[in-house]
Amino acid sequence: MITGEQKPIDEIREMIAPYKRILVLGCASCVAECAAGGEKETAMLASTLRMAAKMKGEDVLIEEKTLDRQCVRDFVILLDDIIEKYDAVLSLGCGAGVQAVAEMFTEVPIIPAINTEFLGETRDQGYWVESCLGCGDCMLHHFGGICPVARCSKQLLNGPCGGSMDGRCEINPDVKCAWHLIVDRLTKFGALDRLENIYPPKDWSRKQGGGPRKIVREDQQK
Amino acid sequence: MTSEQKRTLALYYCQNVPASGERERQDLEEKYGRGIRLFTVPCSGRLEPIHLLLALEEFADVVFIITCPEGVCRYSEGNKRAKKRVEKTRAIIASIGLEVERIGMIIGSKENPISLADHARAAMERTLKLPPSPVHN
Repeated sequence: MITGEQKPIDEIREMIAPYKRILVLGCASCVAECAAGGEKETAMLASTLRMAAKMKGEDVLIEEKTLDRQCVRDFVILLDDIIEKYDAVLSLGCGAGVQAVAEMFTEVPIIPAINTEFLGETRDQGYWVESCLGCGDCMLHHFGGICPVARCSKQLLNGPCGGSMDGRCEINPDVKCAWHLIVDRLTKFGALDRLENIYPPKDWSRKQGGGPRKIVREDQQK
Repeated sequence: MTSEQKRTLALYYCQNVPASGERERQDLEEKYGRGIRLFTVPCSGRLEPIHLLLALEEFADVVFIITCPEGVCRYSEGNKRAKKRVEKTRAIIASIGLEVERIGMIIGSKENPISLADHARAAMERTLKLPPSPVHN
């Protein structure tokens, strides 16, 4: 999933300052899972902003709504009936959600309320970790399902570096050494000999070399 | 009008707080009138920051949560969760310049159980030490 964190209130208030009728727009998908922009967080932010406005004597309308997904036009179109009421939308969607709404409603400023962070997994309650860089050329099968590009601090394809201690990264001891995990896992599979391969430098052109990436699937189209 | 009625306290309390039945709730409402709004919850862990924020936004000068004592939560850790959510909500209201004291928490005592009425009196005393909420004034 895509993770994110809400921006500081001061920054949000500064961004919405020019507007008088604001829709706080949540997204019930990824950012709800990481407790940044789901229905609950959207209601909290809207309430907080209304209180801040009242305290300053500002005459503003702040309402909230949460879409199932802000990055899918079939859901964004649901704003069609109400968007005219507002002169700005404060989106708690990820960067993709913000842009999807902006592209559909070109007359209304769409303001990001969260900082999109990374592709990650929910490791525990309230604990999310990065696990994928979206490189466009997945190599997980070589490394026992552990990505050295996303999870090794040095992004080594031919590790380990030799600097880890007790299974912890020498750069950040809070982080488990990805290569320690890879070696452990391949040992379990009896596949440690895979590490005798020399992996060439990664072809990063598949990530962003050609500008924004797209996937076209004719079988999924109308 | 008594001095208590010049502020509004939103009081959320765990249903396991001693002497917190319907009769006692009605007595408190009679005593404090519009100065108190009482919300019983099956467990303080059910409360989310949005409940506390909406109370502050819509009518309350101060919000208090009364939990059962640590270690005796019927749902294991509801009161621990309530504590974290109070901290989170305090951080939110601090970010807009509202005093963190507007969200209070009272943790019951296992050794000296205190009734809802006594908790409410203590919460009301702390409420009256604060000026009316700038959200409503």
